[in-house]
Amino acid sequence: MQSRRRKSIVIFIFCVTTVFAQSNEVTVRVDGLSCPFCAYGLEKKLNDIKGVENINIDIEEGLIILKIVEGKIISEEELREKIRDAGFTPKEIVFTNKDKKTREKE
Amino acid sequence: MRNTTCLLFILVSLTITLKNVHAQGPPIFTDSPYLLGLDGGGIRTFGKYISTGNGQTYSQPLIVPYNVTTNYQIGGVQPFIIQFPDNGSSKSGFGNFTLFGKYSVIQIDGKAKTFRALMKFSQTFSTGASNISVDTNVSQLEFVIGYITTKYGIYGTVGYTFVSNDFPDNLIYNFAFGYPLLPQKYPPFQLNLFIELNGTHTLDIENNLLFVSSGIQIITSSIFLIESGVQIPVVDDRSATKFTYAIGMRYLIF
Repeated sequence: MQSRRRKSIVIFIFCVTTVFAQSNEVTVRVDGLSCPFCAYGLEKKLNDIKGVENINIDIEEGLIILKIVEGKIISEEELREKIRDAGFTPKEIVFTNKDKKTREKE
Repeated sequence: MRNTTCLLFILVSLTITLKNVHAQGPPIFTDSPYLLGLDGGGIRTFGKYISTGNGQTYSQPLIVPYNVTTNYQIGGVQPFIIQFPDNGSSKSGFGNFTLFGKYSVIQIDGKAKTFRALMKFSQTFSTGASNISVDTNVSQLEFVIGYITTKYGIYGTVGYTFVSNDFPDNLIYNFAFGYPLLPQKYPPFQLNLFIELNGTHTLDIENNLLFVSSGIQIITSSIFLIESGVQIPVVDDRSATKFTYAIGMRYLIF
């Protein structure tokens, strides 16, 4: 019974890690985004992250969609830190790779 | 004598107004509680043309902010001022240098909205050219608050200004309501309208000056905006100011 549980945990961790590593799009919900002119600092900070190819900011929905260079990995912690540094509050982060998704909440 | 007094009044007012040039975005005459929105590592400039009943003044300050931490920012403001008095020839030179510090005390963020407040301290030194600047040191402590959503923005400021060399201190208070006419998107293309109240109570002589201000702001890209506003005095105990007209731009150099 215990061995079965361990096996499940290992499989789960493997799946999450695989998706994280191969993510080519990251969607972040950011709170406090109420002024488009103020979002420039956020874009600058996110552009500092290695592997970020393109940034799309949706002010009304409070969403940021990052396109990641093929094969590059970005860390969730670095992402949250950059958003906080820019003066906003990071919330849900969704890493997407084709049809696979993994969701992590703050 | 009356012209000299008026000129000094304009210069002190301009010195106080210049504190707002490092405001990060809207509104036009009232400060904003956004501390880091434009990335404090950048350099900004904000040209402003002020026309009063006594002449015109153009100021072009260079603002260099630096984020010490996420909540704390320090910076410096060095203006270049050109004056065109109605009586006399034009003159120009560097204005007084200002050091400022801002500390964010409240930040409550939600989806497409935020409630923020910060404390701001600024110190202006009498380093400017003698023919263009007031020979006074000015210290100012302000509390800046705002509730900003994608539909509207409400801003408020109260502050106290300590002025040296026997000039009277000032109590300042500002209120602004901003309304965006276009959908909010990024990169921005915005057309914003503002209605503001900007008041100064001068202690010792117990004078009041209260402007009703309206303004329009056009943001054409993520690094450039142009804005214009008119301040009409509704209370003016000195009867010294007819109106103030400002046209300016904010440009992020990098």
